[in-house]
Amino acid sequence: MTKTAFNISWQVLLLWLVFRLGTFLVALLHLSLPGNVAGMLIMFLLLASGAVKPSLIEEGGGFLLKHFAFFFIPISVGLMTFGDLMRQSGAVLLLVLTVSALVGVAATGVSVELLQGRSSR
Amino acid sequence: MNLLFSASLILLTLGAYLATRRIFLAYRHPLLNPVFLSTVVIISLMKLTGYSWDDYQPAKEVMTFLLGPATVALALPLYHNRSLLRRHAPTVLAGVAAGSLTTMAAALVAGRLFSLGDTLLLSLGPKSVTVPIAVEISRLCGGEAPLTAAFVVATGMLGSILGPGALSLLRVKHPMARGLALGTVSHGQGTAVALMESETAGAMSGVAMALAAVFTALVAPYYLPLFLR
Repeated sequence: MTKTAFNISWQVLLLWLVFRLGTFLVALLHLSLPGNVAGMLIMFLLLASGAVKPSLIEEGGGFLLKHFAFFFIPISVGLMTFGDLMRQSGAVLLLVLTVSALVGVAATGVSVELLQGRSSR
Repeated sequence: MNLLFSASLILLTLGAYLATRRIFLAYRHPLLNPVFLSTVVIISLMKLTGYSWDDYQPAKEVMTFLLGPATVALALPLYHNRSLLRRHAPTVLAGVAAGSLTTMAAALVAGRLFSLGDTLLLSLGPKSVTVPIAVEISRLCGGEAPLTAAFVVATGMLGSILGPGALSLLRVKHPMARGLALGTVSHGQGTAVALMESETAGAMSGVAMALAAVFTALVAPYYLPLFLR
């Protein structure tokens, strides 16, 4: 139990360092890319090149991914500042979000199904 | 006093998360989404007791501190699925690009039809991408981060509730196609549903979620302004 907690802690610290590195590089190179995405890409390159073994971050990374949903809760509590907006355009926004989600799902689903069907035939 | 107050808000949020997570895992119904339920509970309690977002904000800063490293950890599923990814690279990329571009276009075009303002439209732009990344893209493009976060959560729920039915209606049967569609549009929440359909769908959804995030981050700053006045 304590060993697991210890592993998670230092592995999360490692992921945090890669995150900071991503943020730093994006600022240094004036890239129009979020620092966390840059960090994710760096991490992927480290794993893919074999420089970092997945087992080095599996426990900490797995823990964060397992509870990924948790981080969205405090962020969406921010919704409480948009009471007026929701009363005003809540219905419109719901419609816009529904339509655009369905359009996207259909576009990806149908195009991949067609491409897959063609390649497997 | 303030520290104690923030600590109790953190405990409240943690408790709401753990409780709603248990409920979700027991019933697995998309409407029992832990993020949605917890948010409703917390906002209701804050409103009832007369507190505002400003009171909650210090607690939020503490709780979202690990969001950056958590996003970096998304490299893990991407790495684990690299062979599947390499084998179907063109199809995967085409699917993710098609979904990302059309969902952004649909949101902005529909939003303009209802004459939503530019800030609102730009906040809607990156809503199909997982929260930590969408928030950053929104900031880069001139949207409002908290609004985008709310739209992302709503899109996650809408896509994971309506997506599977819509795909069946369109006769999309291939698990790869279903997974990619759910992950591209509904990020983590779509991936959770795809995982329940099949392992391939789940893996593909995880890959799609990461790729859609990178793709959207790269194109949104140039693509979204095309739909503004």
